Amino acid sequence: MIENIPLKVGQKVPSFQLETYDPVKKDFGTFSFDPAKPDQKWTILFFYPADFTFV
Amino acid sequence: MGAEIVTVSTDSKYVHLAWQMSEMELEKVRYPMGSDIKGDVSRIFGVYDEQTGMDLRGTFIINPDGILLNAEINYYNLGRNIEELMRKFKANMYMSRKTNEVCPSKWKEEGDVTLSPSAAMVGHVHEALDKK
Repeated sequence: MIENIPLKVGQKVPSFQLETYDPVKKDFGTFSFDPAKPDQKWTILFFYPADFTFV
Repeated sequence: MGAEIVTVSTDSKYVHLAWQMSEMELEKVRYPMGSDIKGDVSRIFGVYDEQTGMDLRGTFIINPDGILLNAEINYYNLGRNIEELMRKFKANMYMSRKTNEVCPSKWKEEGDVTLSPSAAMVGHVHEALDKK
């Protein structure tokens, strides 16, 4: 279980996974966030309430 | 743009597909649409609303070391300003290269005035912002 949630700015984000729909590949996939990954890029997460509404 | 962008809601990936296919506004969307049905990831970031099962409008910038550098959460009824998100993202990228500089509120892009905090600047931020 992850401690310190919700996270605060300045803290390390734990690894997590999300099932995805990828509009480019037009296919389902998985997004894996792993802070230990050496080729980690910048990540922007954009949460919104629900599909079929405005974001 | 230099960042991996993922949008997330508590809808299923099937609904993401249906929405993306039917909504013309989303025709040009190229980011993977994450599905967090149980709210596990949303809880990590403090955006999961236990009452509704939906996510608040949260935006988070994470650097390549996995450190959360920026968090913004709006209630349901307020949309986000993408220009401000991009400003914060560009500023974070810039400061990761220029670690002795800070970006003041009016900073928009590389070349704009930055500050280099020092003892001499204490009490003289106005002059420091003005002289460049």
